[in-house]
This record gives sequence, structure tokens and C-alpha cells, in this order.
Amino acid sequence: MYYLTTHIRVVAALVVRETSTRFGSKPGGYIWAFLDPASHIAFLSLIFMAIAHTPALGTSFPLFFATGYVAYQFYQAMAGYLNSAVNGNRALLSYPNVAPIDTVLARYVLQLGTTAVVAFCVFTAIGLSLKTPLTIEWPYIIEAAFAASLLALGNALANNVLFPKYPLYEKFYEIITRPLFLVSGVFYLPDTLPHPAQEVILLNPLAHVVMLFRKGFYPEYRAVGYDAGYLYSVAFSLLFCGLFIFTSSRGVLRGR
Amino acid sequence: MIRLERATKFVRMKGISKPIINDVSFVIPRGRSVGLLGRNGAGKSTLLQIIAGTLELDKGRIVRQGKISWPLGFQGSFQGNLSGEQNVRFVARIYGVDTEELVAYVADFAELGAFYKAPVRTYSSGMRARLAFGVSMGVRFDYYLVDEITAVGDTNFKRKSQQVFKERLADSDVIMVSHSAATLRDYCESGIVLEDGKLTYYDNLEDAIAVHERNMTRQ
Repeated sequence: MYYLTTHIRVVAALVVRETSTRFGSKPGGYIWAFLDPASHIAFLSLIFMAIAHTPALGTSFPLFFATGYVAYQFYQAMAGYLNSAVNGNRALLSYPNVAPIDTVLARYVLQLGTTAVVAFCVFTAIGLSLKTPLTIEWPYIIEAAFAASLLALGNALANNVLFPKYPLYEKFYEIITRPLFLVSGVFYLPDTLPHPAQEVILLNPLAHVVMLFRKGFYPEYRAVGYDAGYLYSVAFSLLFCGLFIFTSSRGVLRGR
Repeated sequence: MIRLERATKFVRMKGISKPIINDVSFVIPRGRSVGLLGRNGAGKSTLLQIIAGTLELDKGRIVRQGKISWPLGFQGSFQGNLSGEQNVRFVARIYGVDTEELVAYVADFAELGAFYKAPVRTYSSGMRARLAFGVSMGVRFDYYLVDEITAVGDTNFKRKSQQVFKERLADSDVIMVSHSAATLRDYCESGIVLEDGKLTYYDNLEDAIAVHERNMTRQ
């Protein structure tokens, strides 16, 4: 019991600490957390509005790209932030109370909250600009956000150990994951792809996350090919491997 | 009480692996302040980190009873881009003590003035050490782990910190690493000599200092 309360206290203290360093140092602070995704969505919308007449779903380009981009961000922003959790708090690990896992959990909590608030603001703005009101199915949206964050967590637990241990792997990882955005079905629907391509894209668990997320905004969307079993098998296998690597490498994490 | 049971720790540096403590079973009793002696590179700081819990043993185990501080040293455990005050708040939160009280205590104790609200990376090493010392004196521990930090600041600050530290030692113990026999005599009653991976406890500090000095002339 004592250990649990210490962990909770430390995670809470780290959340406060991360908040002040993450947004406090840049001029404008929190604004950037919103401006960044908003500008991405606006760019994508502008480009595709010039190419096509209607989006693959519904009639609103901004809504179509926002559903894809925000779902993707629940993974991408989380993974990017968590990957440096231990390293970014290295100095604080000299307090015996602060366990390496606390730094990861604190960033997880903060990032999930941040993306959720950003998502809420983005969709409220888009909803107000539409002629017909949004029909929202919360369970799909929450489930998709949660699944995305679990994928990121498992991944990042492993990377926090592997990056400092194998710098070459870090470079490799960066190169491999760079085109992830393109193969996650953010600006197209995997369902509408021709046959061999569709199967390949659906190997990416993030494509399933995006499909699930879109189901929450488009009641008519059937998400053909969405496979919850596959998504969660990948997510929990990653989480298991990540936890295994993380807990068995305490020496590396403390920096010795 | 801090008890080591068949504890072994190697440090590895560029393929060379050297035992810091080798199959050591040992009890540091409660109620004695202990000076830790050993030659340069013997592993005194490493041993402090093991006692604190920031380093894992390779073999054996360590049992700790009581609240143990982090190792107080010059390098400091502060986040450079946060201000001194923010770092103090963090410590207060993780140890569950009153935040405002600790912030006020350290502000008064460490005498950092306007620097208290400036990022720690702008501090001189003396200022860091004063901050570190102030924070740790503001949190009550059963054991204070001190790594060569007591002699910081000007004469005035030294006198003040010695006074506060001695007050703490009325109901806490210290495990102290220092190369200065005079500092150890000031704070400690007993001594431990770390030599060739073995720990030897001497109830009387003077015996430990004598053995340590003999070790030093041997080579």
C-alpha cells in the first residue's frame, strides 16, 4: 500500500513538472498544442479540396482529415513523447522514490489528456462550422483513442530501454516509422483500396485505429476490414514485450 | 537499520569489470552515524547509491528500515531547466511533505536570493550544493546519505548548515563519505572502511581512520 501511494504521488508530481517544462518554456505556451494539429488539418483539407470534389466519407474535407489525423495523433504524439520519458527525466531518477516507470506513466497521463483536449476543441470547431450537426458515437471514439495509446505505450516502454542501449536501432526505428502516416489510412479509406494494397495496409494496427475512430463520427461508415481481435492482439503483445524489456533492464534505465 | 545480505556489485567500464563490494554481509545499526572511508575509486559513492536504492545489486539483497535520503552530492539531482523553487516543489511532492513550507524553508536556508526562481542550470556549483543541502535538511529522514557536501558556502553558511545538520542528527543518522578526517570526526562516531570489495566496520571512528591511513601508505 505504501508503495502504491508513493507511485501515485510521484506520478502526480511528474505530471506537474512535465506540464511546466513542456509548454512553459516556449512563448505562447499551450497555444502550440492546438495550433500544430489545426494547421495540419487545414493544410490537408486545402490540398485535397484542390484535387477532389468530395471526401471519401461525408461532405466535409476538414471533418474527414480531422478524424484521420486526430486518431493518428493519439498514437504518434504519444509515442514521440513517451520514447524520451526516462531520458528526459534522467536527473530526477537520482531520487530513489522516482522509479523509471513513473516517468513513462506521467507522460502517458499528460499526453492522453492533452490530445483529448485538442481533439475536443478541433471537433467542436468543425462541428460548429458544419450545416448539419455531428452525430457522435462516444464508445468508438474513446475505444480508438485508448487502443492507440496502448500501442504507443508498449512501443515506448521497449524504446526507452533500446534507444540508449543501441543508438543504431534508434536511427533504424526513425527511418522505418517515418512513412507510418502514409500507411495508416489517414487521408484515404483502407476499405476502398484495390486488393493487394488493402491487405498490406490492414497489417498496420493504426489503420484499424483510424477506422474505429471514424466509425464514431460517421454512422453510415461500415469499416469493412476492421478487426478488433487483430488490433488488440498487436496492442497487448507489444505491451507485454515492452513491459518485459522495461522491467528486466532497471540498470540501463537508471543510467549505469 | 540497513542490512546487506551477500551483496555483490560490479562496475563495468569499457569491458573492465571490477567488484565494488564482493559477497558482503553487513549491518549498519540504527543510532550510529557512520563515516565511509576508502581510497579514490574504491566505490564509496556507488555504495551510497546502492544504499539509497538508485543502483541495483548484481547479487544478494539489501534490507532497509527507515526513511533514507537520496545521496547528497555536488552533482545534484536537479532538473536544469527548472528553477530552484520548482525543483524544491518536486521534492516536496514526491516525499509527501508540505510544499509551501518546504519552499519557504529552503528559500530562507539556501540564501539564493533572486536565483531561487532562475533555472538551476544557471547556478554555480556552490549554489547547487546549498540548494541540495537546504532541500534535504527540510525533509526529515532517518538516514542522511552525504557525499562530500558539507563544506560548501562561506564561513557563515558553513556554520549555519553545521548547526542545522547537528540538530537533525539528534534523531537521524548520517552515512557520510568524506576525504577529510576532520569532517568525519565532526559528524560521525563509527567508521566503515571499504577496501578491495570488503567492508569493515569499526565501532570507534578513530580506529577506522587509522586503518584507512595505514591502507593508504601501503601503496
